[in-house]
Amino acid sequence: MAPAATPSTVETSCYRGRNAFSLNRALLYDLADIVLTAARRNGASYADVRIGETRREYAFAKDDRLENFDERASQGFGVRVLLDGCWGFYGARRLDPQSLRDGVERALENARAVKPIQFQPIALERLPAHEAEWIMPMGVDPFEVSASEKADLLLSIIASARDHGADFCSASLSATCEERFFANSLGSRIHQTRTRVAPNFQATAIDRASGRFATRDCLAPARGAGWDYVVGVGLIDEAAQAGAEARAKLDAKPVAPGDYDIVIDPTNLWLTIHETVGHSTELDRVLGWEANFAGTSFVKPHMLNELQFGSELMTIVADRAQPGALATIGFDDDGAPAEVAEFAIVEKGVFRNFQMALGQAHLIGLSHSNGCAYADSPTTFPIQRMPNISLKPNPGKCSFNDLINDVENGIYVVGAGSWSIDQQRDNFQFGGQLFYEIKNGKLGDLLRDGAYQGRTTQFWNSLSGLCDASAYHLDGTFTCGKAEPVQLAPVSHGSPPALFRNVRVLNTSDDA
Amino acid sequence: MFLSSDDAKAIADKVLAHSKADACTVQIQGGLDQSLRFARGGATTNLASAEANLRISSHIGGRIGSCSTSRFDDEAVAAAVARSEEIARMLPVDPDYVAPLGPQNYSFSNRYDEATANLRLDALATAAARVIEEGARIGVDTFGCATTARRFDAYATSAGLFAYDRRSEIDLSATARNRADAWSGWAGAHQFFADRLDADAIARVACAKGAHDATPVDLEPGAYTVVLEPEATTELAFWLIKTMEARAADEGRSFFARPGGGALLGAKLFDERLSLRVDPADPLAPEAAFGFDGVPQRARAFIENGAVTTLYRSRAWAQKTGAEAIPFVRNFVMSGGDVSIDDMVRSVRRGVLVTRLWYTNIVDRKSLLLTGLTRDGNFLIENGRIVAPMRNMRFNQRLGDLFANIKALGPTRRTWRAAGEGGAPAAPAMLVEGFNFSSKSSGI
Repeated sequence: MAPAATPSTVETSCYRGRNAFSLNRALLYDLADIVLTAARRNGASYADVRIGETRREYAFAKDDRLENFDERASQGFGVRVLLDGCWGFYGARRLDPQSLRDGVERALENARAVKPIQFQPIALERLPAHEAEWIMPMGVDPFEVSASEKADLLLSIIASARDHGADFCSASLSATCEERFFANSLGSRIHQTRTRVAPNFQATAIDRASGRFATRDCLAPARGAGWDYVVGVGLIDEAAQAGAEARAKLDAKPVAPGDYDIVIDPTNLWLTIHETVGHSTELDRVLGWEANFAGTSFVKPHMLNELQFGSELMTIVADRAQPGALATIGFDDDGAPAEVAEFAIVEKGVFRNFQMALGQAHLIGLSHSNGCAYADSPTTFPIQRMPNISLKPNPGKCSFNDLINDVENGIYVVGAGSWSIDQQRDNFQFGGQLFYEIKNGKLGDLLRDGAYQGRTTQFWNSLSGLCDASAYHLDGTFTCGKAEPVQLAPVSHGSPPALFRNVRVLNTSDDA
Repeated sequence: MFLSSDDAKAIADKVLAHSKADACTVQIQGGLDQSLRFARGGATTNLASAEANLRISSHIGGRIGSCSTSRFDDEAVAAAVARSEEIARMLPVDPDYVAPLGPQNYSFSNRYDEATANLRLDALATAAARVIEEGARIGVDTFGCATTARRFDAYATSAGLFAYDRRSEIDLSATARNRADAWSGWAGAHQFFADRLDADAIARVACAKGAHDATPVDLEPGAYTVVLEPEATTELAFWLIKTMEARAADEGRSFFARPGGGALLGAKLFDERLSLRVDPADPLAPEAAFGFDGVPQRARAFIENGAVTTLYRSRAWAQKTGAEAIPFVRNFVMSGGDVSIDDMVRSVRRGVLVTRLWYTNIVDRKSLLLTGLTRDGNFLIENGRIVAPMRNMRFNQRLGDLFANIKALGPTRRTWRAAGEGGAPAAPAMLVEGFNFSSKSSGI
């Protein structure tokens, strides 16, 4: 597969956008062969290599200043070997053949180093080999858009918020493009590239007399998308609304603490799904592999197909195929295809599947993992991470008005606020951006200083209403943290608005 | 990729030679991180990762454009310089533009040890083995992570500044869970010098804390007297110092804002015994030589005897307000006392001993209401004695109230942070009353 003339470095269009691959494929194949041949020659029973480039752009403005505009391009590789039942990994920010040869040596050395404490050998299922290319469909490449256009947008967002009631406003734009080449000793050779964007802002209003202040954060979600999404999501109009709502929050009624029926908007519910369902059903946590940091889980292997996680309305599915979702990709970082990552985690309230990465399934008596591996850089070890995880809408007809119609005394929660959950993903507390009264089936006044608290299965078993697909919304984050050293993963969660009964609501203000 | 001062300066000089901007700054960071994780008494994942990043900021007509690359070859450097200049020309003029710093005087701390910097993964496996062996000896499952890092930071400007700092780091943290998976304990430490890391002590403490077979008791939510071990105190103090930002206070959107306008500098908001200091020369928790934009870190107090004495401040905000630029800090020292944890426990009629905290987050920035949970070793105290392991609890606690009502402090101790994060604060155990537990958690 090697070309006649092999370049000595990986050429890239470092600072230009693209809708296709830019890394030199011939050299990537050569580098992969160097790694896999050396690993095999030195006794590795399995090896893989990730080579890639990540480009990021971050712009931040506050009030009348563009404070930061930074483009970043980083290349690197990571070699993973399995030697005598021990993993060894080495990654570096160089892409010359000698660096990869050295990388294999260091990965093998690391595998030998852990041998004295590898009492249970790592065992892997045999994944099918794939030769494939996958490119995320995208409109306008954000890296092709000028810095001036981005700066203008940020300053316009800020002006819009301040013109409509905010005293201060900050705004930011983040864009990331990952280009990856994956090869393993089973014969896989996979090229992939995907891009994601995250617009954000925060409007702040201040009551100088009382010293109180209120904020309203952007509700536009991060997406696997291009600049056309950023332009089309209506940030300037939303900033105007946010400025007015931040001002209105100052004079809103404080939430009266108590138990309420709460209707949760998808702009808030995505984070609750993420923390309570997404993390609790990660098999590596269940096995204790995250016990020292991210935590374990209240869900145990014997609960498969037994645990009544939620009410019958609760069906939560995993996927890597939703258009625009942040974990959408053709293959995971173990080389497993997206199709295997389509499964129900909870079906009609019953817990059905864990999320698994390579080498985990056999530990609970299953034959294969399900495509849930991700490494946040070629230089980091792939670990189990979430695919997109979403709450299915009501298959029947149900509008928002239908949903709140039988709520006598409730609260409608919009936008994600402060969040916290215990290390086994049971006790949680989530804030929000906007809280509204629901009285006798009608949306009422704006409230301030709310947060809701709950226990995971109790909360999901109180799910008693769902809107239909017309109200479905996909939200998500660039920065789900897990592992030691911490890795950050992008992931999306979709849902319709949902009704939960008898949820504890707190007042978080000074005058609670 | 670890660079010496000379190598970093050579790259910085190359960038500055390429620059056609009015002014230019160069930031180079990198190093080698190695880590090893273990679970249920055996190895899971490991890595060694060599990182490097070159960030170039070009200043043109009061505008700043930045471009970063992991490639340090001539072609890549030239391309990055040109791109940063291209970006700068496209941006609006910064109304609060600040020119790069010229040469500075730095206080360098001793945070680098060649022997620590040269450790390989086998040293981490040896440290992990201590924990695994201790767990096997007393019958608990062990989980943990050991990490080393060898890092450098360089910063140069076209105004003549070149700053370089380096550090070596090592950390070991361990969780022990009883065989019924119904109780856990934890211990950890971070050091710049490997010979100061006591893996045996970490193993002993974590395993002893995790070795409780009695069913943990539940406590009803409410206000309780708590003894916070240094790890828990550090987490709370970190949130306090993190919110001490001058601009937010000046603009009225902070706990440290004075009603009617201005910051609460000089105001005595906390207990007389509370001081939070930073010092690059501190023997326990030395701070880096410089912070953002090459601004020197100096010995200073953020809180002195309960009074607010310093707020951190960006260079642009400092210029606008005529005040000193103060970098954010990672290594701070909270003043301590001489009361041991045992003596604190003896003084409590009914309360809780807390090992550490988890998933803390600010709920209300005005009142500094913080939420989070206890983790890995809660113990019920009755009549001056620890009587039972206790299930974890969620708290919602205003930090202002907490630090205004300190009842006793222990000796200040260096605490844990993961290697690679730039160091670790030092804090004492702390006895406080009226700590607000708001709900129960089954999380072990």
